[in-house]
Amino acid sequence: MLISYLKIAWRNLRKQKVFAAVNIAGMSTALCAALLLSVTAYREWTFDNFHENSDHIYQIVSEENNGGTIRKSSSISVPLSAAIQKEIPGVKAVTFMAGYSLPVRYGNKHFYLDTEKVNASFLQMFTFPLVKGNKQTALQQLNEVVLTENSAAAIFKQEDPIGKTIELNLSGKWQPFIVSAVAANLPDNSGISFELLTRFENEPDYATYKSDWNSSNFPLFVQLEPGVSKASLEKNIVPLLHKYYKGRIEDMQKGGAGAKGQDVFFMKALSMKDFHLDERSSFYSGLNTFYPWLMIILAVLIIAIAGINFINLSIARSFGRSGEIGLRKSLGAMDRQLLLQFWAESFLLCCFAFVLSIGMMLVLLPYYNRTFGHNISLHIFRNIWVLLGVLAGFFLVTLLAGGLPAWKVARLNIVEVLKGKLGMGKSSALRNGLIIIQFVVAVVLISCTSIIWQQLNFIQSAPLGYNATQVISVPLDNATPANIAAMRSRLAEVPEVKSVTAGMLNLGMGKDGSSGNWTRGFEYQNKQITTQCLVVDYDYIKTLDLKMLSGRDFSRDYGTDSTAVVINEKMAKLLDVADPVGTQFSMDEGKPLHVIGVVKDYHYESLRKGIEPLVMIINEPTALNYIFVKVETPNSVSAINKISAVWKDINPLAENAASFLDENTQRMYRQEQRFSRIFMTGAVLAVIISCMGLFAIAVMVMTQRQKEIGIRKVLGASVSGIVLLLSKDFLRLVLIAVLIAAPAAWYFMDRWLERFQFHINIQWWVFVLTGLLAVCIAFITVSMQSVKAALANPVKSLSSN
Amino acid sequence: MIQLQKISRHYPVGFGKNYILKDVDLTINEGEFVSIMGPSGSGKSTLLHILGLLEEPSEGQYLFEGERVDKMNEKKRTQLHRGAIGFVFQAYHLIDELTVYENIETPLLYKNIPSSERKSRVADVLDRFNMVAKKDLFPNQLSGGQQQLVGIARAIVAEPRVILADEPTGNLHSDQAKVIMQLFKHLNEQDKITIVQVTHSDVNATYGNRIIQLRDGNILP
Repeated sequence: MLISYLKIAWRNLRKQKVFAAVNIAGMSTALCAALLLSVTAYREWTFDNFHENSDHIYQIVSEENNGGTIRKSSSISVPLSAAIQKEIPGVKAVTFMAGYSLPVRYGNKHFYLDTEKVNASFLQMFTFPLVKGNKQTALQQLNEVVLTENSAAAIFKQEDPIGKTIELNLSGKWQPFIVSAVAANLPDNSGISFELLTRFENEPDYATYKSDWNSSNFPLFVQLEPGVSKASLEKNIVPLLHKYYKGRIEDMQKGGAGAKGQDVFFMKALSMKDFHLDERSSFYSGLNTFYPWLMIILAVLIIAIAGINFINLSIARSFGRSGEIGLRKSLGAMDRQLLLQFWAESFLLCCFAFVLSIGMMLVLLPYYNRTFGHNISLHIFRNIWVLLGVLAGFFLVTLLAGGLPAWKVARLNIVEVLKGKLGMGKSSALRNGLIIIQFVVAVVLISCTSIIWQQLNFIQSAPLGYNATQVISVPLDNATPANIAAMRSRLAEVPEVKSVTAGMLNLGMGKDGSSGNWTRGFEYQNKQITTQCLVVDYDYIKTLDLKMLSGRDFSRDYGTDSTAVVINEKMAKLLDVADPVGTQFSMDEGKPLHVIGVVKDYHYESLRKGIEPLVMIINEPTALNYIFVKVETPNSVSAINKISAVWKDINPLAENAASFLDENTQRMYRQEQRFSRIFMTGAVLAVIISCMGLFAIAVMVMTQRQKEIGIRKVLGASVSGIVLLLSKDFLRLVLIAVLIAAPAAWYFMDRWLERFQFHINIQWWVFVLTGLLAVCIAFITVSMQSVKAALANPVKSLSSN
Repeated sequence: MIQLQKISRHYPVGFGKNYILKDVDLTINEGEFVSIMGPSGSGKSTLLHILGLLEEPSEGQYLFEGERVDKMNEKKRTQLHRGAIGFVFQAYHLIDELTVYENIETPLLYKNIPSSERKSRVADVLDRFNMVAKKDLFPNQLSGGQQQLVGIARAIVAEPRVILADEPTGNLHSDQAKVIMQLFKHLNEQDKITIVQVTHSDVNATYGNRIIQLRDGNILP
């Protein structure tokens, strides 16, 4: 029996090529997209799940409640780790992680290795198996390092690395270290990444940090004993904070932070399984928690659209086979036998599509990874659960897409079927409903894409308040202040260079991919003031073309400028004095500072955030991390090459390349760009698959109405009249879809735009244009067929029986 | 074998009913060859559908071999379709995607008959209808008469006790019709199959041994 079903199915497929092609093409594209998207989501959700202790490891993050605004930070004071371990019951181990890229020397070969400085317990806490060496003793000594297989192979080639001495460049000085162990290469779903591990105590200023409760610099990780809950950890930290941060908490409360009796300073624990998607974590991937969900939703939508094609076409087609159905019923076929038969046909089709989609996925995977910045490898399919999940999903889809039409068919009234009364009429509620759903999805995706694109365009072209097009930033990596001075004098000879300065933070995101900020609080006239602080070098304002509102820039001509600050408008407003220039205040019990100038607010951070108060200081040359060079030249490429060459000459260990600031600001919105690309792809797929379905349905309806068209033509209908008549039904559906989709897209995008302090307003014409676009596309699709039908010779359609 | 008692079939029109069949009493005995005649719209096809359990009467009782059809469950009805009743349609209703052989085999598949027996029975029927050479052709490669032969072959392969034929020669020219009608007569006389046919043709009606005239849902006496 089954063989007979499959035989019929196969012969049917070969007979109805349009139908089969549309179904297989649509379904396989959709399955391929859904497969990629859901595997990506799965990967994002299973990050770091290989750690045996992942249920017991937490990162400690602090939160300060500054009277309304909550300031979150992952930086923790160094002495707190010892206090937590000693004074909180149930804490098994703690470790800091200080990650940098450090220059490493072996013989006369130089390498840059991604280094994590960690406490001795690191290897016991996290599951990074060693291929050589012992994890109990690997980091016992301060002068020991652990390499990964890859980095060991790069440095030592065939030699045995254990016991060999390599040198690390720590704050400009080469120091010898002994390789004590080699770790297996990290799994590709590890959030923590390193090529070299060494002890945290090697951190340059460790001696001062060790007992400094006032500065918070490194992320702290805690492993709890099994059975100890996160809540108890968070509760037990509170007394510790009251004990060690007494002065700070009192200051904050005096400044009006927090209501009476409410905690103003507390710490939270983040579970390891949240590291990847929680922006407070140090291993935050930059992906929104919603992002994997978005991928699943898109996958479902795309599959749904293809499934709808499938359902509509199968139902339409089975009406053409009504004779067969009726006959089979009269021969004594039970409903469920018919159901099985029609489902088997769909299943066959889906199987083709599935095989095809796997092929497509193999071809598209590298392109997908590149475009969306993912790192999916085929290894993920070695996981039996992923395979089972994929298969289960596939069966579910065939069950829905094949089962619904089969069920509808099996329930047809036999007599009407035999009499041939059941044609696919001009409309059917189910079919129309499904077409509407398809176009709702397509229109929502198109309008979202267009709004995201507008917003991206807006933030990328918004005036930032500084000169982004002519200024190059050079990451200093681990260079010393002497290098900066050398760079200044060398660049003075380069004709294109107009001015040079340096700063603590990059503007936008440089090629080193790092970003940060320094928030400081102080008291001024009995007011608690919180501000961002930025260490700069001379000529900062001139180089970046910031606009001085009053006062002056830092100048070498004034010896007193080491205690001078330049503030922005927001800060001036906060100080609330008539003339901010000359105002004195002091931060962190330091010496008094006086304001020498006020600059116009500029966007020193991303446009997601509003501009915050800013204080620029000048007296800490060791804190400078980036050189900024303003050039004036028609050939920017040669200028940047020239500057890079000079820098390489001064600091041969430099690792990260220079880049223009406008590039940097673009890079800052990578997540949004990725977001928009995903939407764009989803929208294009949705439109194409929907149109394929619409086309096939149109083909069938036209065939059905051939006779009607013939009669109308004989009676004198014009070609355009007939095209309109035939297309009108479909266009009405698309219009309804647009009406439903517009508010949905508006709501969704409005929520998304709220993430930006600076955003566009959604314009009504976006929806009008998208609607028009959808109607046009649908009209073109349908009219390809309706024009053909309208032009056909009526004699033909009328003579055929 | 077949007994209809006060069978009516109607559908609602506005507040009233429109009768297609009204109070039809009819008894057909085993081995009869009955022709149902009447003008268009007189209810011939509906009557045949009711006889074939494809439609249910609105009122009245139908006894098939002494058993009340309205009391039967779905399974029992399906059994009758599979074994006792064979249909022949005006439009042949062959499955386009199946060959002649496979079309004839289909009812046996639904009867769960083992493969070897299926083969021999289909071969028998093909032999009897002189269609062995055509067994691998598809319906659209056959003439109308040949298609109807396949239709009849399919109807008798499951060895039904009754064949219900709805204008079996309606789409055929007279020579072909003659062949088909002779076949029916033969089946009736040799194989003792009860045959009920709906027809417009007086000539065809004479092949049977009883003619029932329908007018506006009533049997003319």
